[in-house]
Amino acid sequence: MVKHIKIEALRMLRNKRYAVFVVAFPLGFYLLYSNLWGDQVDETTGVKASVILMVSMGAYGALASSIMSTAVPWAQERESGWLRQLQITPLPSWSFIVTKLIVSMLLTLPALLLVGLAAVLTQGVSLPPGEWAGLVVAMWLGVIPFAALGLTIGSLTRPDTAQPLAMIGMFGLALLGGLWIPLDIMPETMRTIAKVLPSNDYATIGWRIVAGEAPPASAVLGILGWGVALVAFAIFAFRRATVRA
Amino acid sequence: MNAISFSQVTRAYGDVLAVDGLDLDIPAGRTVALLGPNGAGKSTSINMLLGLLRPTSGQIRIFGETPERAIARGDVGAMLQEGTLIPELTVAETVGFVRSLYPDPLPLDEILRMADLTDLAGRRAGRLSGGQTQRVRFALAIAGAPRLLILDEPTAAMDVESRRAFWDNIRAYAAQGRTVLFATHYLEEADENSDRVVVIARGRIVADGTAAEIKSGVGGQAVSFTMGTQSVAGLDTLPGVIGVEITSGRAVLRTSDPDATVDALYRKTTLDVRGLEIAGADLEDAFLALTQES
Repeated sequence: MVKHIKIEALRMLRNKRYAVFVVAFPLGFYLLYSNLWGDQVDETTGVKASVILMVSMGAYGALASSIMSTAVPWAQERESGWLRQLQITPLPSWSFIVTKLIVSMLLTLPALLLVGLAAVLTQGVSLPPGEWAGLVVAMWLGVIPFAALGLTIGSLTRPDTAQPLAMIGMFGLALLGGLWIPLDIMPETMRTIAKVLPSNDYATIGWRIVAGEAPPASAVLGILGWGVALVAFAIFAFRRATVRA
Repeated sequence: MNAISFSQVTRAYGDVLAVDGLDLDIPAGRTVALLGPNGAGKSTSINMLLGLLRPTSGQIRIFGETPERAIARGDVGAMLQEGTLIPELTVAETVGFVRSLYPDPLPLDEILRMADLTDLAGRRAGRLSGGQTQRVRFALAIAGAPRLLILDEPTAAMDVESRRAFWDNIRAYAAQGRTVLFATHYLEEADENSDRVVVIARGRIVADGTAAEIKSGVGGQAVSFTMGTQSVAGLDTLPGVIGVEITSGRAVLRTSDPDATVDALYRKTTLDVRGLEIAGADLEDAFLALTQES
């Protein structure tokens, strides 16, 4: 399994699309936005925009990574015969989905850590060690629902359908969840939608942590609920995709 | 012990029986060809053997175990009809990963050498040619040193030269006492590379034996000569003759006893026999005769 994880991670890190959407995008936009508005201060919490943007772009990178590294590669593996190739080895099929999930989570780390590093180096962001630790752990574990969503897409669709679905899921969740545009300036209906999305819960937990507050129960419960539902769905879809007919 | 045993195995797709009551035992250590035209049920049988498809009824055993158990134990390696690799991974990474899944694999260097991949070890799979990809897929099939190697039309995409090299490699692998089962619709391939040929058509076994036995079982040999415009009447009643064909002035008598046929041709007919030839029926004739019956 360790070897499987290594090989899967290696292959995504060599993938250009992954590098662009998942590492270059959030990093580039963080640098751009924080140079434009980084010094603005949120009136209610007193947190600088450079810190809030760090959470937003880190969240986007992690979310994008977890969907990108699952949906399309997995759909391709099923279609190309790579899955069959592995099904006729002693590799048990539960190990397959667990590996995919672990790899997907590991691959969110470059985006999270690079955006954080850029925030520290270019914007002089500093947080108490406890907040850094809490932020990284929360942002890392919080990607589970998105990785599960990606795996579900990959299990249920062919690569040419998985590709647009993954893109829609990735940008839709980021945009509607308030990662690109603050919720406050969104129309009422969009704000209502955002409130039920796991991406908003995910980012909210991060925003509250950097404001020195405990994450709201609603967001934690929200992401837990989505997590349980999507993981269950991913397992169901995975079994359906790998069943021996 | 039997490496492979099918007993009364049937597989239906809707109303169509792709495999129809297959009974087949293959002792360990043999190299067996599963020969049949497209749609005969070869791939369905192989996919059932690999646990990728469930039989509708009947039982399959590999070294006495269910296919799932045998695969989990690492007893089976296979090269399926299609399958691409992960383009971002190198040949050595891909083979190294798959070999690590087996309990007692071959050394990586040896696998690469046996599949003629030593020079390509560092190349990414996305940059390999079709023939090179096939060699990697062969390497994956033998990586775990499986006791049973299964190949489903392995040379379909290869040119003549790579085909020859490929079979040399398979023979080297089989020579270590391993069992090999391969499906093919190339008669020559079955003839040259197996010690037993199982011919299947419409999901059933229609012949089973060495290539020579199958040839002799079907109208053995052919006696041919130039007829010109002479009458063909009576040729089909000559001793041994089981079939008569006339093509562009030449008569071809299919016979189970060429000596008797030739003898009678000279003594009992008034024909002017010229350009007489006697030839063994080739496997292709046997194959066509078998698979077109009924």
